Amino acid sequence: MTGRNQAMLEEAFHRGAEDGSAALAKWLGRPVTLSVGRLEMLPIASAASVLGSGDEPVCGCAMGISGAVAGLLLLAAEDAAALSLADTLLEQPQGSSTAWGELERSAVLETANIVGCAYLNALCAVLTPENDVGILPSPPVFLRDFPAAVMEAALMEQPHLGDAVLLANSEFRISGTSFRCRLVFVPDAAGLRAYAHEPADPDAPL
Amino acid sequence: MTTPAKPATSEPIAIGQIGVAKGEGALRTFVGSCVALVLYSKRHRAAGVAHVMLPAAEGRAGAPGKYADTAVAETLRLLADFVGDTDLGCTAKLIGGATMFTFQSGTPIGDQNVLALEAILSGLGIEIVGRLCGGRHGRRVAVDVATGTVTVETAEHGSETL
Repeated sequence: MTGRNQAMLEEAFHRGAEDGSAALAKWLGRPVTLSVGRLEMLPIASAASVLGSGDEPVCGCAMGISGAVAGLLLLAAEDAAALSLADTLLEQPQGSSTAWGELERSAVLETANIVGCAYLNALCAVLTPENDVGILPSPPVFLRDFPAAVMEAALMEQPHLGDAVLLANSEFRISGTSFRCRLVFVPDAAGLRAYAHEPADPDAPL
Repeated sequence: MTTPAKPATSEPIAIGQIGVAKGEGALRTFVGSCVALVLYSKRHRAAGVAHVMLPAAEGRAGAPGKYADTAVAETLRLLADFVGDTDLGCTAKLIGGATMFTFQSGTPIGDQNVLALEAILSGLGIEIVGRLCGGRHGRRVAVDVATGTVTVETAEHGSETL
């Protein structure tokens, strides 16, 4: 990947994180701080612990992305923080949600939808400004699981890239609360090749 | 190619890595679509765990534990080195191979991983004495090195012992 392409990718993912942050602030009606927003090439073991390496489950919403910008987008937070978010969205006192019922799931899925689409629109605007190539996100899927297991499955988007993976990692904090969530985009292997403007090599180990 | 052996009760074994231990302690890992290959030598009270991500290396780069076709041989080699005996008399257990995201199409990679490991183990005459595979959830795996007992826990679907 050339320096120019890498700079363009970094700009795209940073703008995606900014727009995702703005969408989250609007959705919640509260200021949101983007505390991390970067594109990283990480050793696979480090990438697997981006959501944490402990035993406590996280809750996440995942979207499969196809089209001009393909891959997997994941919005994840610690269990208690995500339940607190659900309380905020359902306009009920903090601590009301103690388990993941249909309403709580629906609240965080909608959040993922809003943040994810803002993020993806920004990516598309930077990466494909001249043409009308679209992106197609799948409906978000809710899951609550061990953080390492969630990330490991997400990394299957780049299973053949050796011992390092490229991912975009953002962290949002909601002002005045302890809530923070992480937005991770794992571009798929074919997409990475396209972004790098490298000719497709049928024998390439992707 | 070598993979450093992880001591028992250390950090969880990461993707593509292999851990071996004997005598006592535990080997741990988390798996979703990946498969935890557990090889146990009752004779030596020694265990090896590989965190397998893909069915076959096909010449690709990566740690030997990452691919089913290299992970089995490498785990056996590490175990043999560790106990100083190539006559291990191992049995195997397989855990993982889930399909975590319903929107992913094609033959689930988790299923492919399990099938590849089953074929390789069968070819080597290593009996699979326990398995907890498939589903849509991750698993926390802990191998008791003294007994070979494997405890498999999930976030929302209870726990089982193999």
